[in-house]
Amino acid sequence: MPNKKLISIILGVMCFALTLGIVVQVRTIRSTNSTISQNQEANELRDEILRYKERYDNRFAQLEEAEKELEKEREEATKNNSELEQAQQQITEGNKLTGMTEVTGPGVTITLTDGTGIATSTLNPSQLIVHDLDVLSVVNELINAGAEAISINDQRWVLTTAISCRGNTIDINGERIGAPFVIKAIGLPEYLAGLERVGGYLELMRGQGVGVNLERSNSITIPKYSGVINFEYLQNVEK
Amino acid sequence: MVFIAILIGCILGAILGLNAPMISYTYSSYLAIAIIAALDSVFGGIASVIKKNFDLKIFISGFFGNAILAILLTILGQKLNVDIYLAAIVVFVWRMFMNLGTIRRYYVEKWSDMIKEKASKKDKDKKQEKQEEKTEEK
Repeated sequence: MPNKKLISIILGVMCFALTLGIVVQVRTIRSTNSTISQNQEANELRDEILRYKERYDNRFAQLEEAEKELEKEREEATKNNSELEQAQQQITEGNKLTGMTEVTGPGVTITLTDGTGIATSTLNPSQLIVHDLDVLSVVNELINAGAEAISINDQRWVLTTAISCRGNTIDINGERIGAPFVIKAIGLPEYLAGLERVGGYLELMRGQGVGVNLERSNSITIPKYSGVINFEYLQNVEK
Repeated sequence: MVFIAILIGCILGAILGLNAPMISYTYSSYLAIAIIAALDSVFGGIASVIKKNFDLKIFISGFFGNAILAILLTILGQKLNVDIYLAAIVVFVWRMFMNLGTIRRYYVEKWSDMIKEKASKKDKDKKQEKQEEKTEEK
């Protein structure tokens, strides 16, 4: 039997590894927000979804890297050719307009949060919640006020964006988004802040008990659209 | 001494674990089974220290061997669509209870011996006092 010092050191190191593993595991499980249900099938399905999501995220990161590389190659290829350079500029400009690039500029940030009032004290408890139509109306008013780029919880508003109800969440660009909704818009801040006018939609929502906050800012960054815009039926009219 | 080392190891592990990067969810099930295996090994180690038949080589090979075997079984189970890891967990937890039983028995016996000794000492003291009182009275 080895001496007691060695035993305690070895046991200490083992316990160190053990607690390290336990803490890392607990943090991982907590970060995935997975609740363990009694139903094994539900557990397995949840497991699968989490795995797919991880794979999707990895692929997405790869795609982004590839896109960066493409951009670099394109720049290099068009370096010494003025005609190609012009075409390149057109592409960049077009991407900016269609929402395929990250953009920045002055604008406003509107935050919509579900009301914190007591549901039974209002006539219609449904009013306390931010609905898809609320988000849609705010976006509509922003466009009306001259917003040039809009994002809702980092989902870029593009040509093909639809905002629809998905139970207790909202579907934007095919992604599920939950409250609170942070709507960012780039445009002239003074115009965009006009959404707070008396009788406007924001005031209507405030009256219903929904939390509304509008903030002007000189630099707002709006992410690019992460999907692909594909038109199948659209054709140019030949003159 | 052994328990102080275990305590220090646990505290250091928790501190480092809080700052360590998270592993990806795909591998978390393997880590979970490895944790159970390691837990079993540590309990086994403590029990063997108490039984005074602690062997370093057996302990370390058990620590790594059990964890690796459990992870391999989990992977195999996922490939075959059989929950083999359940069997590993049953075995490990069963052994944990056995080892815990050994540890518990050792300390309960130690404490009960101590209590008995104290009680007998007190009795002796009392008897002595009484005898002294009697002698004084006489």
